[in-house]
Amino acid sequence: MTAALQIDDVHKWFGNHHVLDGFSLRVEPGEVVGLLGPNGCGKSTVLNIVCKLLSYDAGQVRLMGEPLNELRYRARGLVGLCTQHCALYPDLLPAENLHFFARLYGLSDAQRKQRVAELMRRFELENFASTQVGQLSGGWQQRLHLAVSLIHRPKLLVLDEPTAAVDIEARMDLWRLIEGLRDSGTSILLTSHHLAEAERLCSRVALMRSGRVVADGSVPELLTRIPGQAVAKVQSEDKEAIIQRALELGWPVRQHANQMRLLLPHHLSLREIVDALEGAQVSAVSVQPVTLEDAYLELMSDSSA
Amino acid sequence: MHAGHLLWVQTLAVAQRLLLEQWRQKRGLIFWAVFPSTMMLLFGLVYAHNDSMKAGLDAAAAGILVGAALFFSCLGGTVAVIAAERERGTLPRLLTTPLHPAAYFLGVVIAQLLLALMQVVMLYSIALLIGVQYHGSLFLGGLILLLSVFSYVGMGFFLGARFARRSEEVVVALSAIGVPLLVLGGTFFPLEIMPQGMQAVAQINPMLHMNQAFKGVAAYGMGFNELRFELTFLFVFCGLSLALGIQSYQHLLGVYKSK
Repeated sequence: MTAALQIDDVHKWFGNHHVLDGFSLRVEPGEVVGLLGPNGCGKSTVLNIVCKLLSYDAGQVRLMGEPLNELRYRARGLVGLCTQHCALYPDLLPAENLHFFARLYGLSDAQRKQRVAELMRRFELENFASTQVGQLSGGWQQRLHLAVSLIHRPKLLVLDEPTAAVDIEARMDLWRLIEGLRDSGTSILLTSHHLAEAERLCSRVALMRSGRVVADGSVPELLTRIPGQAVAKVQSEDKEAIIQRALELGWPVRQHANQMRLLLPHHLSLREIVDALEGAQVSAVSVQPVTLEDAYLELMSDSSA
Repeated sequence: MHAGHLLWVQTLAVAQRLLLEQWRQKRGLIFWAVFPSTMMLLFGLVYAHNDSMKAGLDAAAAGILVGAALFFSCLGGTVAVIAAERERGTLPRLLTTPLHPAAYFLGVVIAQLLLALMQVVMLYSIALLIGVQYHGSLFLGGLILLLSVFSYVGMGFFLGARFARRSEEVVVALSAIGVPLLVLGGTFFPLEIMPQGMQAVAQINPMLHMNQAFKGVAAYGMGFNELRFELTFLFVFCGLSLALGIQSYQHLLGVYKSK
């Protein structure tokens, strides 16, 4: 099957800075792929290349099977972009913004009216039909922003931290809308710093570091790459003793930002953990099954203890 | 959709959006109307007060229209449009759509032309009420106004794309550049009362030639032959200004694309 997006061994330099170093990624039709990584790892560069805002120096990018470089303006009709900053016209009404962008994409009058009405209904914007966009709350603006990015029925939707600038309630609403898009078969490439967002929305996650993908798979697949099934977060004044005892028990220890994480072979109760650590002084401990956050820290870290 | 048709649809979409935004910005619209109208009325009162100056009112009205009203409306308006697109982040958003740069440029030109037409109708309605007379060819006057608007929009793209990153900077930039140009363009005082040095400098000010050309037609009924130099200057300046505007806009798009 032809991939919605196929990126093969792409390199990009900004001067002497090698921003993308053999980056490869594939998004199948109807798949939601999360691209996760720290700031500066090259995520935005990838998205800008896919949206034709940036050229690349080597490698190949294909959209719906066609080389991106040969698509020219046509590529813009295949991709929809929604960023965290709501880039719309604040003095216009929601439908006026939608109509404006629909005309830029060349929708006929009949198509445009039908599509705008459909999106106003789908994104529940009808109650704000006579409110200027600048007067809407951040969450509703972002909702409209998402609707605008879908006006031309793109084959690939690119979401660049779409919920980063909204409150929790609006985030939940946007997640629900994105889930709806996913369920209706839209191919989505999403970047986010909210691992819970990626875990909830993405069918596959690619972890990126220093301009390349270091791990790629579904969330359950990535979780199997952690040497443990549960993680105990421990606070203690006597870290050395905890580490010593954990290693004796065969529990890998990870330290991230002053937090000690013990990877357990299976779920244990708090009492069992404290008992197993014997004499080591524990001031606080919590335990939970491994999550994408643990996989992220494990697979992105250079310094596993 | 055929490429030419799409370009036209996009051009109209941009023009319509800009006009709609202008309409919604009520305060801006009030200032847009009040500033030149007040100038016209004040000049009318001053000239009407003194019988020996009444003849100069026709020239003053032409100067206010070309030198002040269209300058702030078309040049200032274009700079403000570009600055707002940059500030709101809509410029990179537009770059992700199939919007052709020429369609954007033409859309701004059409919107500014319509706004300029409204200014002309509004100001000349007031001018006629206070006794101003239009003496020359309507076609020639229209041509000069058209060249002036194109020149202002071209310069607006140049200033907006190269310098104005934020809306607040637009007012400062316009005041810093505009007021000296207005004074040296003979908008407020006739060139003859200026010192020789200033008169020489004023000759390279395009606004002087716009003013002189339109005053020549509107106030003194001059024709093509009498205004040959001004018209040639205006044609050349209009071409240069549009080329500079297009080049600056393309430069701006290039900057966003390489970010």
